[in-house]
Amino acid sequence: MKKKGLIILIAVIAIIALLAGSVISSYNDLVEDREEVETSWSQISVQLQRRADLIPNLVNTVKGYTEYEQSTLTAVTEARNALKNAGSINDQITASNRLDSALNVWVNAVTEAYPELKANTQFTALTDELSGTENRIAVARRDYNEDAREFNAEIKKFPTSILAGIFGFDAYDYFEAQAGTENAPIVNFN
Amino acid sequence: MKRIISIAAVIALILCLCGCTEEEKFLAHTEAFYVNDFADVINDSDENEILSRAVALNDATTAQVVVVTVEDLNGYTPADLALEIGREWGVGDKEKDNGIVILLSSGDREIFVSVGYGLEGALPDSKTGRIIDVYGLEYLRNDDFSKGLLEISKAVINETYLEYGLTPEVGYVPIDSIGESTELTENGGSVAIAWVILIVLIILFNLFPKKFFPFFFFFGGPRGGSGYRGGSFHGGSFGSGSSGGFAGGGFRGGGGSFGGGGAGRGF
Repeated sequence: MKKKGLIILIAVIAIIALLAGSVISSYNDLVEDREEVETSWSQISVQLQRRADLIPNLVNTVKGYTEYEQSTLTAVTEARNALKNAGSINDQITASNRLDSALNVWVNAVTEAYPELKANTQFTALTDELSGTENRIAVARRDYNEDAREFNAEIKKFPTSILAGIFGFDAYDYFEAQAGTENAPIVNFN
Repeated sequence: MKRIISIAAVIALILCLCGCTEEEKFLAHTEAFYVNDFADVINDSDENEILSRAVALNDATTAQVVVVTVEDLNGYTPADLALEIGREWGVGDKEKDNGIVILLSSGDREIFVSVGYGLEGALPDSKTGRIIDVYGLEYLRNDDFSKGLLEISKAVINETYLEYGLTPEVGYVPIDSIGESTELTENGGSVAIAWVILIVLIILFNLFPKKFFPFFFFFGGPRGGSGYRGGSFHGGSFGSGSSGGFAGGGFRGGGGSFGGGGAGRGF
């Protein structure tokens, strides 16, 4: 009789241990995946910052040319300030998309109005840096979306979804490019 | 029994189909790895020169410079295709991420030089763009893709030597020290003279090592760089399978990664 009770007790403990083990391991997996998403987001952040820093340099290069496109430049400056003040991931995404299109419009307007800028090495160097940064943002954005999609799928799956609910793992927003602004401003040297 | 056989046949067929489609998913590199002239625009001698220079660079620094030509980009942007090639082939060392992919599309008339994470300091985008402008664009515009790619890869390789604190090719003018002038450097004669001087110095050094100690340091550091430059840089020929030490046939990537750095031009 005693023996039977002991066996049941051991079985119950074993089941609890098994359950606890699987809960802990899937919790740890979730934490790891979340870290990955955060890391790829920080890659985007770094590049967004880099772009914001490059813009004043580019503007200064063009300032030598007296009447540069003032109206389109204002949009760039505003978008840049909006990005600086953006806090959440969502806000940063919106602000960055805005800066993207404003910058595109401005660079195109300037190079159209002053074709001789294309021969200016400093201007070329800065547009190269800027397109490189745009390209890095695009790459980092793809990598981030991939990681976010994996994470989001994971926390929706049963039974991980229960755990995610208990511990408050939320889905991440995707970083979508605005239609037509995926491409960096490219100076055409034809 | 018949049913089992037919089921097995269907499964085998499905497995085979899966295998086939998976293999076709991305461009495979050639045996030579460093030169992949899919568009057939590089002549043999330029191809050999790029190859031997790329192999020498890899031996000295672990960095990998890979030249790829395609007829069209298949819907990719030049930057994306160059990046995918770099990542898929693992161009550059796994730890150092020091790979570079020079991609030219003859149909789209586009070139892009994609720089791995580890070389973004040595070759920032502005410098990469300038290398294309100064060393290659004139040739590319005049449809001399072979010479344009040779000159661009030479410059990229030399800049990489500089990054690793090694001496670049004698006569190479670092891109940073070239001013506003966009004239192409004509350096055939001075290169020949410099080679002669270098070879004489190497011979002298080998004869009297101690006396020429200062020169030794000046020309390539304590790693015995002299023999390296004199030997394999120009001389070696890399016909298919002729290089002994590479088991498994040809060269391959070291697992380097790319983040989208680099610069490109339409021409």
